[in-house]
Amino acid sequence: MRIKLNSIMVDSQDKALKFYTDVLGFVTKHDIPVGGEFRWITVVSPEGREDLELSLEPNANPAGKAFQEALLKQGIPATAFESSDIQKEFERLRAKGVVFTREPTNAGPVTLAIFADTCGNLIQMYQPNAR
Amino acid sequence: MLSHRTLVRLCRARDLLREVPEGPLSIRAVAAEAELSPYHFIRQFRAVFGETPHQFRIQARLDRARHLLTLSSYSVTDVCMEVGFSSLGSFSDLFARRIGTPPSEYRRRVRPLVQVPGRMPAELIPDCLSLMCRVPGRPFAISEK
Repeated sequence: MRIKLNSIMVDSQDKALKFYTDVLGFVTKHDIPVGGEFRWITVVSPEGREDLELSLEPNANPAGKAFQEALLKQGIPATAFESSDIQKEFERLRAKGVVFTREPTNAGPVTLAIFADTCGNLIQMYQPNAR
Repeated sequence: MLSHRTLVRLCRARDLLREVPEGPLSIRAVAAEAELSPYHFIRQFRAVFGETPHQFRIQARLDRARHLLTLSSYSVTDVCMEVGFSSLGSFSDLFARRIGTPPSEYRRRVRPLVQVPGRMPAELIPDCLSLMCRVPGRPFAISEK
């Protein structure tokens, strides 16, 4: 058994695909209509392994929506992505209009920053600090 | 940088925009509830949620309309009023443009999916990761346009 797929709930798959590709720079791996209004969408990072996928899941389930909104109100990130140059990434994203709730901050083992993904989530970005 | 306090206010404003008030609720009034100037409110809301407060409110109303058309016995006109539109014509046009089918036809398509009265059919509420099970796609009744 392997860890190969993770998912994040989004309030609109259209909006999410735009943000995760155009803004974050991930690449669409799958975008398959599965009936109704929903699609099976996954993205991969061009900087990572192309078989590690993130699924952009619709939060149409009220339980999912409640959980997502509670996390956001508490300022808790839904997931985290690793960066090899967090300062550069922070500046690139900020220039694209991304809103940060925490600018790059040294937190001991990692430097981390937190931003809004425009789809109802906060996302943490981190870079391991050199020992 | 967005402070936690402002984030919480924006979340509260989003909750307000989902509600259907008795009287008209202006964006200015929602901004005041969020303790932000209208200009900053609209700008910050869009940056965090990816759409303007107005766009969000319209979408929330259409979502609620879909819910009522699926589960309630309200007429299309009642649904239109219930979600906060005053003109049936503009509601129907907007619904058709965004959802792809007029409200009455939407209802006709989704009703057969409701197996337990009052409970949204599973096809309209995907479980996490369950979408993958449907690849390459087992079309729902609703997609058979």
